[in-house]
Amino acid sequence: MSDAISKETLLDIHRRMVRIRHFESTAGKLMEDGKIPGALHLYVGQEAVAAGVMANLTDEDQITSTHRGHGHCIAKGGAFNEMFAELYGKVTGYCKGKGGSMHISNQALGILGANGIVGGGPPIAMGAAFANKFHKNGKVAVPFFGDGASNEGSVHEAANMAGLYKLPIVFVCENNGYGEYTPQAKHQAIVDVADRAAGYGMPGVVVDGMDAVAVYEAAREAINRARAGDGPTLLECKTYRYYDHVGIRGMGLNYRTDEEVEEWKKKDAIDALERLLADQQMLSADEAKAVHDEVLAEVATAIKFAEDSPLPDPSTLLDDVYA
Amino acid sequence: MAEAATKPRTLPYVAAITDGVRAVLNEQPTAFVAGEDVAEAGSVYGYYNGLLKEFGPERVIDTPISEAGIVGLGVGAAAAGCRPIIDIMFMDFLGECMDEVANQMAKIRFMFGGNTSLPVTMLTMAGAGASLAAQHSQSLEAWICHLPGLKVVMPTTPYDAKGLIIAAARDDNPVIVVLNKMSLAMQGEVPEEDYEIPIGKANIVRQGSNLTIVALGRMMHEALKAADQLKEFGIDAEVIDPRSLQPFDTDTVTASVRKTHRAIVVHEAVRFGGFGGEIAAQIQEQAFDYLDAPVGRVGAPFSPVPFSPALEAHYVPNAERIVAETKRLLGL
Amino acid sequence: MTSNTNQATDAGNNQTFGVIANPASGKDLRRLVARASVFDNQEKQAIVQRALAGAIAGGVTDIRYMPDTHGITECALKDVGRDAPFSAIAVDSTDTATALDTISAARAMAALPCALVMTLGGDGTNRAVCLGWPDAPLLPISTGTNNVFPTLIEATVAGAAAAAVATGRVALADVAHQNKVVLIEIDDERDDIALIDAVVTSDRFVGSRALLEPDRLRLLLLTRAEPAAVGMTAIGGLMRPMPDSEDAGLLVECDPASERKVNAPIAPGHYRPIGISNLRAVALGETIVIEGPAALAFDGERERTLKPGQKARMKIMRCGPRVIDPVKTMRLLAAA
Repeated sequence: MSDAISKETLLDIHRRMVRIRHFESTAGKLMEDGKIPGALHLYVGQEAVAAGVMANLTDEDQITSTHRGHGHCIAKGGAFNEMFAELYGKVTGYCKGKGGSMHISNQALGILGANGIVGGGPPIAMGAAFANKFHKNGKVAVPFFGDGASNEGSVHEAANMAGLYKLPIVFVCENNGYGEYTPQAKHQAIVDVADRAAGYGMPGVVVDGMDAVAVYEAAREAINRARAGDGPTLLECKTYRYYDHVGIRGMGLNYRTDEEVEEWKKKDAIDALERLLADQQMLSADEAKAVHDEVLAEVATAIKFAEDSPLPDPSTLLDDVYA
Repeated sequence: MAEAATKPRTLPYVAAITDGVRAVLNEQPTAFVAGEDVAEAGSVYGYYNGLLKEFGPERVIDTPISEAGIVGLGVGAAAAGCRPIIDIMFMDFLGECMDEVANQMAKIRFMFGGNTSLPVTMLTMAGAGASLAAQHSQSLEAWICHLPGLKVVMPTTPYDAKGLIIAAARDDNPVIVVLNKMSLAMQGEVPEEDYEIPIGKANIVRQGSNLTIVALGRMMHEALKAADQLKEFGIDAEVIDPRSLQPFDTDTVTASVRKTHRAIVVHEAVRFGGFGGEIAAQIQEQAFDYLDAPVGRVGAPFSPVPFSPALEAHYVPNAERIVAETKRLLGL
Repeated sequence: MTSNTNQATDAGNNQTFGVIANPASGKDLRRLVARASVFDNQEKQAIVQRALAGAIAGGVTDIRYMPDTHGITECALKDVGRDAPFSAIAVDSTDTATALDTISAARAMAALPCALVMTLGGDGTNRAVCLGWPDAPLLPISTGTNNVFPTLIEATVAGAAAAAVATGRVALADVAHQNKVVLIEIDDERDDIALIDAVVTSDRFVGSRALLEPDRLRLLLLTRAEPAAVGMTAIGGLMRPMPDSEDAGLLVECDPASERKVNAPIAPGHYRPIGISNLRAVALGETIVIEGPAALAFDGERERTLKPGQKARMKIMRCGPRVIDPVKTMRLLAAA
């Protein structure tokens, strides 16, 4: 059984969440100001999921991420410099500017790619888990996907095969209530995606995705179980994105109310964790502010790094099409 | 490794596939075979027969009927250090996994800025002629040749089948090996030792002087028959089997056309929008001044593959149609 | 069934019938760590539907229900009600997808009042009902994980028994038994309640709520100690059984270092040795004081935390829900 959750772990989770929050809110502004090209799908609101899960993983463990993937990459150890540089399309980015926001990846950190295809990640993570079992290396693969992706056949196929082969994998469904702009009630007849787990021969668990400690504890059990060879789990985290599907304000589509957003913000995971840590005398308000300030400084440094970095030379276009 | 052809031994195409896969499994400890009915059943055409017993269930793996899952398994396992051989039973089933093929397998290396290689080998079965109708008979190479990041090979002989499978598995890129179900019983020389056919190198299977026939896959054999028939019209055809469509050996083809001044391209796939159009365009771009006639194309009519033997015989290109097209083209 | 419904309607003695189905029960971490099974919402809907069929056949015409976020009861009502003469009205409750919805629905049902409340959920669900209506007349049906409180009975029969009470054909006083509860007062914060067990652990957070680490158990205050149940109650029950009928509680103090161990199923399929340092009966009203830092778990789930130095007082009283015995009810109904 697991040890009690330590202060160090909680502070680590807190820092990961704060890193995501400031990276994302800044990146969103830079996109809307036209400094970052293309489209960003921002993770603000969902930080507890990435941070709570990733605090249980090592660099060796693999994840697959989504179009809304910055949070996963940051929580998995992604560096701000290389991430911002990638968003700016610079040669110093994680993908040399060839992938951009939706394809950030890094083998050394076990990030097998964000993915622009909804439902694209789980089959790949399943394959990585298969390799882990093949190599008997004790690594665990964790695909992140949303309630929208849970309706994709690829996710179903991956989950079925993971259950069949009893692979070391934890399917983390971030149910933020919307598939792009469509509310969950209009895209599936169920409310708890975890209900589908039984059909794949694996346990399904619902956890409050706005509670970092709850996510951490549930993910720990699921990941330990996978690592021990006891097979996959479907872990559904109920969460919410504060920003639009794309960008901060996005396209201004009228698909949800401001009141709904404000209700969820009352449950903000970073605020909640900071309250808990203060109650338990683990992190004072001043100490929390210092974490935010450090992270904001790091964001500023990374933006400067990205802006000062060179653009890729057009002659390098074909370099990475083939090995 | 260079081509090796000592110790002649005759095997059918189906056994040459087995021999190639066996060689890969012996050579590469992280290689495995995964697909529908590949283990216990040895595949529906039997080309994995015996491998389960030889290599065990950890390396020869039956999967559910889940093509997206199978390709995802290959892609993810390759990204995590394996060298998978995945089997898509019929090429027609690419539709079930096209996202995994087109958006994941083909693009991951590029999107990731080169930080991940995907040494995945996919074997799949194409070809009409067995009355398997519209969803089990197609030649869909045009779909996959259009995707940067993939390599595509089409072995036409038992020798090439083994050599191209080995080459595909040694390649650090995803390679799709398009097999032909009507060739499975074809006998040919297959050396016992391992050898590879270099990917991207065309094979001049018949030397000729005044017509170049570029024939894909099984059509190479029809082209050879056509070449024999064309002799009586004074045509001495050179027959080229590209073997590899992506990358495509344009140099060998255009060098031939510069010599023969006439070219005709043949494939089993639907002619309109087929890969033959790309070959014809390349010839005209690079050897226009050498051409004495327009580049001809022979392919299937613009129709799904029909079921009835009477219709299917009319549908699939053959030597007679190659001869007829040549005569039309040259005004014979 | 239709004729029965008509007869009962003619009897004209209907009172309001409350239904609370908890969409969140049966989904927690025990699916993973213990050998609990997932209780999917389709199954819950089917159970509600069967219970409603029993209730409507038994003459219930005025249904008030909690409008849960998953639409469980609403869907069940749609399917059950095509031919049945009844009205169903959602009570005014919150829409937070938390226990608050159950609490506020129970509060609304108390205000009407409903003749009784039929609940579908586990111990946690019934605890939430009691937070809104402490001495509610209850007929609990189990859909939770390791439940002590709700009755394991086919929902159809439970619905029929509840109908017999709601329509006045069987008197509540003849078939209901008022349960003990643990009342908890926490310094500077709202009070709380537990139906079966109030447990103090050395955790600092509520987290995933699950109570699976025996080494972190400090103290158990049990209204019932059931040797034939799963959960905290079994720890006491395997040493000193105590039924709800006994006017006392059981205090169990835990210490991982203690040589006295009890191997108890603290969750389904999940046996753990618990070190016991002290065990004694407590009188009704006797106050147990505890001090933080600690987490407090009620009826199997961590619910509250105590800051360092913060105190809580716990006592057992017989002032809880009046729980209807469906088997006795049906026997009385048949005899009448």
